[in-house]
Amino acid sequence: MATVARSIQPDESGTVYHVRAGAEGTVIDVDGFNLFYGKKQALFDITFSVPRGLVCALIGPSGCGKSTLLRCLNRMNDLIDDVTINGDMRIEGHDLYGPGVDVIALRKRMGMVFQKPNPFPMSIFENVVYPLRIDGVRDRNVLEETCERALKGAALWDEAKDRLKESALGLSGGQQQRLCIARAIAADPEVLLMDEPCSALDPIATSKIEELIDELKGRYTIIIVTHNMQQAARVSDNTAFMYLGRLIEFGETEILFTAPKVTKTLDYVTGRFG
Amino acid sequence: MQAPATPKSQTAPIRPKARVTRRSVLIADRVADWTIRIGGLAIILAVFGIMIFLLQVAIPLFLGASVTGHFQRDIANGAGNPRFVAVDEYNTVGILIGDDGRVSAFHLPTGAALTVNNLDFGGGVATAASRTLDWRDMAFGFADGHVRFARLDPTAGVIAGDSLPPGLTRLANGDSTDGKVVYAAAPGGQYRRIGVGVATDAAQPIAEGAAIVAIDYRVGGTIERPSRAFVTVDSKGVVRLSSAETRMNLLTGAARTTITTATLPPLPVGTQVARVLLTANADQAYVADAGGTVYRYDTRNLNAPVLAETVDLLPRDARLSAFGFLIGEQSLMVAGTDGTVAGYFRLQRESASTGDGYRLIRAHDLEPHAAAVTGFGASQRGKMFVTGTADGLWIRHGTSEQTLLKLSHAESAGGRHVLLSPRDDGVFAFGGDGKVDFWRVSIPHPETTLKTIFGQVWYEGYSEPGYTWQSSAGTDSFEAKLSLIPLIFGTIKGTVYALLFAVPVALLAAIYTSEFLNRRARSVVKPAMEMMASLPSVVLGFIAALILAPIVETWIAAVILAVVVVPLSLLVAAHLWQILPIDWALRLDGVPKLLMIFATVALGVYLATLLGPAFEYVFFAGDFRAWVNGSTGRATPFLFILLFPVSFLAAQLAAERLDLPWLRAIADRTRKDGVVAMLRWLVLLTGSAAIAYGIAEILAALGADLRGGVVGTYVQRNTLIVAFAMGFAVIPIIYTIAEDALNSVPEHLRAASLACGGTPWQTATRVILPTAMSGVFAGIMVGMGRAVGETMIVVMAAGNTPILDWNVFNGLRALSANIAVELPESVKDGTLYRTLFLAALTLFVMTFVINTAAEMIRQRFRKRAFQL
Repeated sequence: MATVARSIQPDESGTVYHVRAGAEGTVIDVDGFNLFYGKKQALFDITFSVPRGLVCALIGPSGCGKSTLLRCLNRMNDLIDDVTINGDMRIEGHDLYGPGVDVIALRKRMGMVFQKPNPFPMSIFENVVYPLRIDGVRDRNVLEETCERALKGAALWDEAKDRLKESALGLSGGQQQRLCIARAIAADPEVLLMDEPCSALDPIATSKIEELIDELKGRYTIIIVTHNMQQAARVSDNTAFMYLGRLIEFGETEILFTAPKVTKTLDYVTGRFG
Repeated sequence: MQAPATPKSQTAPIRPKARVTRRSVLIADRVADWTIRIGGLAIILAVFGIMIFLLQVAIPLFLGASVTGHFQRDIANGAGNPRFVAVDEYNTVGILIGDDGRVSAFHLPTGAALTVNNLDFGGGVATAASRTLDWRDMAFGFADGHVRFARLDPTAGVIAGDSLPPGLTRLANGDSTDGKVVYAAAPGGQYRRIGVGVATDAAQPIAEGAAIVAIDYRVGGTIERPSRAFVTVDSKGVVRLSSAETRMNLLTGAARTTITTATLPPLPVGTQVARVLLTANADQAYVADAGGTVYRYDTRNLNAPVLAETVDLLPRDARLSAFGFLIGEQSLMVAGTDGTVAGYFRLQRESASTGDGYRLIRAHDLEPHAAAVTGFGASQRGKMFVTGTADGLWIRHGTSEQTLLKLSHAESAGGRHVLLSPRDDGVFAFGGDGKVDFWRVSIPHPETTLKTIFGQVWYEGYSEPGYTWQSSAGTDSFEAKLSLIPLIFGTIKGTVYALLFAVPVALLAAIYTSEFLNRRARSVVKPAMEMMASLPSVVLGFIAALILAPIVETWIAAVILAVVVVPLSLLVAAHLWQILPIDWALRLDGVPKLLMIFATVALGVYLATLLGPAFEYVFFAGDFRAWVNGSTGRATPFLFILLFPVSFLAAQLAAERLDLPWLRAIADRTRKDGVVAMLRWLVLLTGSAAIAYGIAEILAALGADLRGGVVGTYVQRNTLIVAFAMGFAVIPIIYTIAEDALNSVPEHLRAASLACGGTPWQTATRVILPTAMSGVFAGIMVGMGRAVGETMIVVMAAGNTPILDWNVFNGLRALSANIAVELPESVKDGTLYRTLFLAALTLFVMTFVINTAAEMIRQRFRKRAFQL
């Protein structure tokens, strides 16, 4: 399935692309996106498209803007005062920042998993069905079905099925993170945004999450921010390398890690800085 | 050594460093440890110390009486069985008065006889006698139908030590006497001179040719023109009520007494009269026969006296042995040969079939004696009295029904004469066998028991037992009513209404600032709210009482309307905001939006004042105050006002469950979600109003009427004012703590909820509020503690009426306010003083219990939030 769609094609912003395209086109299209915190610009002229059903990793040194970019995708940056943006960002062709966008509905299409596991102080069951609850679903059967599906999807069902009524805070860190993934996929989103989902986890939990990402691939388009280059190499199809708020190189993971087109990328993936 | 230094030898040799913590650090650590420990312990000790101090002051209220001394004297008494026994104020001289007019006095502590003048009975022997409560005025009836008045004056004066007359005999206890007068040492090197003076008036003919068998005598009026009334029963059973007026000729000094006599309706033939009683203003006369049947005359109109009531006060086989008033002449104490001791009140009763609408009601049942009651003596200062039997005498209290002291006088043959000395500090019993028993007693708090403080007590003049607080009044015969229940109730009532107002406002404000307001506006709002807390409560109380109360009184309908209109106008404004184009909305977000909210509230208030009169006209028949009294209008309007928000919320919840696809379709088609939502809301509003009105109508038809319950007679300083003012004091506290709790919920939970597609409101109510519940609850509890202990606002704005009434338009008296108001007038270590300390202790216990319960609930919330 791997075909190189747009290869070695430095555009006007200086980004080098060699993206492996998915079978079903793109989900997210970003074009000339800039973001400012107050007067300080944090993202510069970001342009890229995420193919549907594949895993896309965002890597780069701390402060390069990869989390910011991820948070722009479901407008979590709205919560921060004094953020201004310009440029174009679309999901399925719909403008994310256009007038009259229903942010609440938008976020339902974009499940998000955070750096630190953040289950609610409720039971495991209530955690998973939370997106349905806020949608006003009260049908017990629907809730239970969804819970089972989501927990199975997040490979947590076997561990959690006997303790659904217990507090989610009693789970281990890795389980909590998979619970958060279950919660994210319970709403049946189109895109899963993962913001360094394994940075707070031990290696065993990390490998489980990575296996899970592998399983989820195909059903969901996954965008994952990670610090861990091995992880990016292991789980993703495409990788975007960001540096100082700019997208330096975006392309097929194997190529980016083995033979990057840009020197900066090479320096980073070989550990010369960062 | 040749070689260049190795790196090792270049540097200082590595030797194990002494890894010992410096002494000063250890000492500082120790000092800090102990300081903190001692400080903490000291705080706990201080709290317990306060509690113990309060307890120590309050406990004597419940300790009964104690005997501080007792002696018995043999009195060589020529008078045989005396008619009257008396003792002076200082328990120094005992006086016996016989039926033949002989007066014998003796020095009480030693039994030494004193020479006193006799009463001049002209050789007659009294067949009946009576005296006033203070023992000074006596009336005697004789076999020839005459009546003589006499006065007994135990004279007491203080003289300097050097003006002591010579030739005194020293008595065994250190007092001196000249045979007539006793000189007792008083503090400051002075002497108290105590003698006995008597005076007898001329005989007055009352009953022609019939012996007088019973008499009662009352003195009123002024000293210059005393008005005296007496009631007599002669041997023919004729009851007469007479009043005597003595005019003194200022030139000659001669007194002339005129007596007017009215004959009362006759008693049944053959009545054996045992005792008659007269009230001080001669409007009631009671004739009791030996079997305990009482004939009550209503003599308010002397020209037409009526026999108002005939009532049997004792069981059939018992005979009356004592019958007398307690001070104030409201409580009628009855004792019988079966040991019964009971107190009766003359009370107005709807059902009374008596001539004047009053009935004698048995209000107090006191602990019965095992043997026949033989003697009765009422206190001259309070509701205490003493009853004597053959084997003992008991000091009792008529109001609290408690038996304070049980004394036995085995050697004295009987307790025919028992009395409490004028200062209630001694009990005197004369057995008739020449033996006198005297006990010095200390009865500091006869009127308080746990029951009088926390239970229902039947006070004089009250139609039923109740919880009453009235600690003082203008008369000596006043019965102190010291029930803490109305005060505890007042505290709870004020707190409940204040919290009903404060908690929703404070919590919504906290949620709003924490979850909806942007950071910049929040940094202005929060300190502003906290500044509210720094307003002294006396200022709040002052403003509430003098400015707010009159305004609310004038605009009461508008105030009630505002409670509905202000939230409604906010909701309308919110819907209008939704309709606003998105870029406008974004531009106006933040401070302008906040200002617009304020403007909306102001507009709502303005609308309420504008519509107030119309509202009053439609809902409360044009006059709210007449309406709450229950005199005009129907019950429906207020029920509707209360039901409306409930039905609206219910409708809202039901509508949330209800998914209307066609409505959604319209919204999608027209792209005017805001307008559709608003129309939907308006439909809900009118619908729920109609439902609420319907339910109110049905409830009203079923007889539900809140008037007389939570609403009722309007007084200017009422609980509503207290709720506003106290709410103002409490809101910032609840707000600050709740806001901090909400704000301290980790940001990642907020992010998680929002990322799941939750709205800020859903996030706040489903995630943030439950997680922060322990903190929010703590805020409410701290606010409650503040409201419970709040003093100045309730003192100034609550009207201080100690009543048990949930009516929000009536006042209240809180424990704290009561302490503040009454402590300055209480005598140190007096009953009121100690009762106020008990009130303080009660307040302490209340806040202690509230805080403990709150902490327990808080811990559970905490557990649920973090462990489940």
